[in-house]
Amino acid sequence: MTIDPLWYKDAIIYQLHVKTFADSDGDGIGDFKGLTGRLDYIRDLGVDCLWLLPMYPSPFRDDGYDIADYCAIHPSYGTLEDFREFLEAAHARGLKVITELVLNHTSDQHQWFREARRSRDDPRRDWYVWSDTDDKYAGVRIIFVDTERSNWTWDPVSRQYYWHRFFSHQPDLNYDNPAVREEIWRVMEFWLNLGVDGFRVDAVPYLIEREGTSCENLPETHDVLKFLRRRLNESYSGRMLLAEANQWPEEVRHYFGDADEFHMAFHFPLMPRMFMALRLEDRKPLVDIVERTPPIPESCQWGVFLRNHDELTLEMVTDVERDYMYDEYASDPAARINVGIRRRLAPLLEGDRKRIELMNGLLMSMPGSPVIYYGDEIGMGDNIYLGDRNGVRTPMQWNGGWNAGFSTADPERLAQPLISNPLYGYQSVNVDAQRRFDHSLLSWMTRLIKVRRSTRVFSRGSITFLYPANHRVLAFLRTLDREQVLVVCNLSGTAQAVELDLRALAGALPIEMFGRSVFPRIGELPYMLTLGPHHFFWFRLRRV
Amino acid sequence: VTVSQPSLLSDDLVRALMAVGQVDVLVGVPTLNHASTIQPIVRAVSEAFVRYFPRERTLLLNCDGGSTDDTPAMVRGATADASTVTMHHRLRTEHRITAPYHGLPGKGSALRQILTVADLTQAKAVAVLDADVTTLTPEWIAALVRPVRSQHYDYVAPIYARHPADGLLVTQLVRPVVRAAYGFRVGEPLAAEFGCSAKFLGHCLEQDVWDSDWAQYGIDLWITSTALAGGFACCQAPLGPRQAVTPDRPGFPEIFRQIVTATWCLEQHTAFWVRRAGSEPLPVVGAPIGTMAEAPVQDGARLLRSFCSDLRNLEDVLSPIVGPETLQGLRAIAAREDAPRFPDSLWVRTVYEFLIAHHRGVMRREHIAQALVPLYLGRVGSFLTEYGSAPPTEIDAALESLGLEFERSKPLLTDHWVPTGER
Repeated sequence: MTIDPLWYKDAIIYQLHVKTFADSDGDGIGDFKGLTGRLDYIRDLGVDCLWLLPMYPSPFRDDGYDIADYCAIHPSYGTLEDFREFLEAAHARGLKVITELVLNHTSDQHQWFREARRSRDDPRRDWYVWSDTDDKYAGVRIIFVDTERSNWTWDPVSRQYYWHRFFSHQPDLNYDNPAVREEIWRVMEFWLNLGVDGFRVDAVPYLIEREGTSCENLPETHDVLKFLRRRLNESYSGRMLLAEANQWPEEVRHYFGDADEFHMAFHFPLMPRMFMALRLEDRKPLVDIVERTPPIPESCQWGVFLRNHDELTLEMVTDVERDYMYDEYASDPAARINVGIRRRLAPLLEGDRKRIELMNGLLMSMPGSPVIYYGDEIGMGDNIYLGDRNGVRTPMQWNGGWNAGFSTADPERLAQPLISNPLYGYQSVNVDAQRRFDHSLLSWMTRLIKVRRSTRVFSRGSITFLYPANHRVLAFLRTLDREQVLVVCNLSGTAQAVELDLRALAGALPIEMFGRSVFPRIGELPYMLTLGPHHFFWFRLRRV
Repeated sequence: VTVSQPSLLSDDLVRALMAVGQVDVLVGVPTLNHASTIQPIVRAVSEAFVRYFPRERTLLLNCDGGSTDDTPAMVRGATADASTVTMHHRLRTEHRITAPYHGLPGKGSALRQILTVADLTQAKAVAVLDADVTTLTPEWIAALVRPVRSQHYDYVAPIYARHPADGLLVTQLVRPVVRAAYGFRVGEPLAAEFGCSAKFLGHCLEQDVWDSDWAQYGIDLWITSTALAGGFACCQAPLGPRQAVTPDRPGFPEIFRQIVTATWCLEQHTAFWVRRAGSEPLPVVGAPIGTMAEAPVQDGARLLRSFCSDLRNLEDVLSPIVGPETLQGLRAIAAREDAPRFPDSLWVRTVYEFLIAHHRGVMRREHIAQALVPLYLGRVGSFLTEYGSAPPTEIDAALESLGLEFERSKPLLTDHWVPTGER
């Protein structure tokens, strides 16, 4: 079977944490054998790519993003052999697998750092960024403002400060050192040779530091990324690099380069604006940000998402927008962390099925490859009182039985406590229950994904907004060659009427894509539609 | 609410309102040939929406009386200052509608359309602005709307930063009459700008006044007096200096307008005001904006001379309107060659007797109003002669004294006022 090298452009990605997805050995921690046993579920959902959160040995002070060994599997998750078997089983089901590549920093427990801090003369010393004072790179913003006061931390062992953009236990690697670049490439090679289909590359803007700059998005950082991409292209085909760069679209655009850096990058500013548009009942924020997004090379793709394992980040919004988002979506201060909101999709939308459907409909029709965060397809809840972002990383709810079907361990032993409240608890929100009914959220999501995958117009087509006078209605055309889809969404909680100027499409017959109902032919007059609260239409436009 | 009347909201306007949906803040601007002044006003409203109401659903509604100078196009074409757009990010879609109003020509019809649209769109707060104003800033809109949005007031009257010797038609006639009759001290009862709540505008729309001729020229005072008489929560908001391209002209048309309006309002609200005694101030919400304007240059002596010479020709007209005591007092003033003075007590008596005469219709009403003009000019001339160069505090004290005199003499009005239904 030939593999489309641009497969990621059509992918629907399912993001999960091995630790909390399925536990096969009853130790309370998810593992690769457990995940392998649930691959049919993932395939049946209709997604075609898995993104695994960090699965490496780690002291787990940042949920695995503090990596202590890049070329091994955390023992709690199984062995390398378990991983190989999982990968083979995933590929057998047509599922690609991408893993985390944390480039910017290691754990302070990584052997490299242990050696580096032994003495100032150690050969590893220059693998990290050191200084005698903590005033270098003054003014560089602190990312984890809730926990860190400086980007420098004093190392009492070697009596110098070390640089870290994230937690103080995560020292930044020194990418000015060619040996570090080479070693990171060897790490990538290791996993590529095992068969992984790509990497979600963590925290890419911060690789290089320069005095007098923000130490973000520097040209030298792009040089590092081009180096890694060049190496990838030289030896591997059909693999993909996905950038996590929480920046404005015009900044992120640079990470695609001339199609010589990343294949994909997340569109961070789009995400909060989808939520904002919904609450404001006004398409403006969403249209503004999409129109502000520059074109990207033909072989590249945006990654779009509603929620993920982190907080709903509000870094890429204005102060007015941030205040609005906090007030509307995080009135409980416990829901706020860093510069964002630690909540899952369903609780953010107050469990409102119509709004959950609309937001997923938006996600699936925006330009880019959508990412679904595990559990959101069944409307899982969260626990904002668990600390850090653990509240959105609770065990997958498979059924209403013992530990939600996640593990046979004693409940007290679970890696994370289950969601058990009456609204979102596993007794009421779980896969087995939702599999039984065609009208469940899970069944609806499966249909949505199927319809999305019925055409490439959503994944590869252009987008053209319509501007009906009714601002509560978002309408746009997706076009790929001769194929066109008209999307009309009512962002409001009340029924809306809208008149669309579709004269340019006169003669086309709109066919509603979920029920395949034929709507009146488009003519020269304004095309009148009425939409129920938070309802949306996808029309395939046919010329019959 | 008569929104279903086809003549009130055109199909085009209804279609535009369907797109707007519900709003939180509606700003209405009636216009008629205001091309020279409308764009700064639209820009100020637009900036106010961005700066002060970034989260609210807003609508600027321009009701035009058939301008021939492209005023509606100017409304549509006005763009916000680029620096404001940069500094203050707009969360929502901005809506701006310009629509012709139908029915009787005049401000009443325009205001009725504004309030009807506000009712239809369920606006939580409304501000109405005068398109004549040249000193309007975004802060005006904030000042008129915020007391409604955040403090639940139903009616917000403006306070202009004007010199106490300015606006004599208000300070000598309308303000003290409203104070004495309605029992509330309102600085600007005649203001064209005001803010109001959904509750108050709903009440206004229910009143059977909109099809009358009076509503077309006396709606400003009616709005104020209706808020006071209706028991609505009223306050005042400082706006700053007010200048308009069409300044108040204390001539016959304006006097006619006010005497007719005052009578009309008093007739509408008789049951409320005849029982009131004394007065209380309306609360002031918000900090002062801008500095007090300069004292206007006015020739009081000339106005007094004019009064003295005109009075002789008016005596036949005046005798059915004012009582003998009043007429005698007026004659005495006119007879004085050195420094004639029109005292407060005589002015109060004169005004009350004119109101009663007008109310009773002792002669053609326009003749009654016309007769008041020279007397008003005499009173104003006297006041300016006495206080024209006095410091503002002294003028304020004199105006307060006049207000108290109107209160004390209120029985002159109530004792002779016959409820409308009993005439």
